[in-house]
Amino acid sequence: PLFDAYCNPPGSHTDNVGDWLRDGYRFATDRNDFRRNLILNLGLFAAGVWLARNLSDIDLMAPQPGV
Amino acid sequence: MGNTLGLAPMGTLLRRSPRREEPLPNPGSFDELHRLCKDVFPAQMEGVKLVVNKVLSSHFQVAHTVHMSALGLPGYHLHAAYAGDWQLSPTEVFPTVVGDMDSSGSLNAQVLLLLAERLRAKAVFQTQQAKFLTWQFDGEYRGDDYTATLTLGNPDLIGESVIMVAHFLQSLTQRLVLGGELVYHRRPGEEGAILTLAGKYSAVHWVATLNVGSGGAHASYYHRANEQVQVGVEFEANTRLQDTTFSFGYHLTLPQANMVFRGLVDSNWCVGAVLEKKMPPLPVTLALGAFLNHWRNRFHCGFSITVG
Repeated sequence: PLFDAYCNPPGSHTDNVGDWLRDGYRFATDRNDFRRNLILNLGLFAAGVWLARNLSDIDLMAPQPGV
Repeated sequence: MGNTLGLAPMGTLLRRSPRREEPLPNPGSFDELHRLCKDVFPAQMEGVKLVVNKVLSSHFQVAHTVHMSALGLPGYHLHAAYAGDWQLSPTEVFPTVVGDMDSSGSLNAQVLLLLAERLRAKAVFQTQQAKFLTWQFDGEYRGDDYTATLTLGNPDLIGESVIMVAHFLQSLTQRLVLGGELVYHRRPGEEGAILTLAGKYSAVHWVATLNVGSGGAHASYYHRANEQVQVGVEFEANTRLQDTTFSFGYHLTLPQANMVFRGLVDSNWCVGAVLEKKMPPLPVTLALGAFLNHWRNRFHCGFSITVG
């Protein structure tokens, strides 16, 4: 406990932020985590819906610009 | 003095708005909820396939399929379909009998009957050579603004096992459909049930559908951007397998070029596409497809010719 108190003084803000960042990096890169995959695929679904709703101005038979 | 309070004349208070007098449409079948989005995605193609369709009469048609593949067993399939006289719509004819048999003797068969104006029945059989794998019986009642379906899957009185599925869909407005599915399975020493709620919202150019239950969730979004472009987005989550999937598909139609192109990208690092081209004046359709899984380094491609 004395050693811990010396190396990790109570209220050490930098270590807490470092732990958060480390845990966040592990969560974001763990491909086997169900919750991580769920959040990622939900975000991709939302992005896909946004893309689908903004594709209305595509005309495949329009002449190419400059021709 | 006139109508100083600004109230509407008495007669109009009792009249319903014209929009509410329109009858609600029938919501269709539960299995067709995600159909629009599913049809956007390309079907997996592998190997070389030749399909020859032959219409023998106004009721009867057959198709011969020869499929050569490096992955599966190569084989020959005979597909036969009989359609009766009672036509409810361009795509619904009763009775309908469809069968598909391959060179090893395995059979897939469906029988669709219209028992009454609103009552339909379906039977599905699937065999692997001489052994029955699936025998399933459906009864569906289509009301004015609702559909109720009961399905019995592999009922076995001797083995005391059955899978029962009940579906119900109700149109709440011209655009909103809500419903649910209850799956009950039973076999000696085990039984269980799963409830899934479903909802579908249909707008002029897009349709959004959602199924949510204890087994997972399935969301789909279909958007018709214009006459040429359709887009489908799907999300599936399975809590039992602890797996989620995202898919994005697009469907490009160029009638002037007699061409249809479908492509997809999904969260399993798969990219695939299928190009279909009709060859007028010949009754021939050529299809080329390729699918690549970047994560597993797997690639397969397919080529098919359909005559008739």
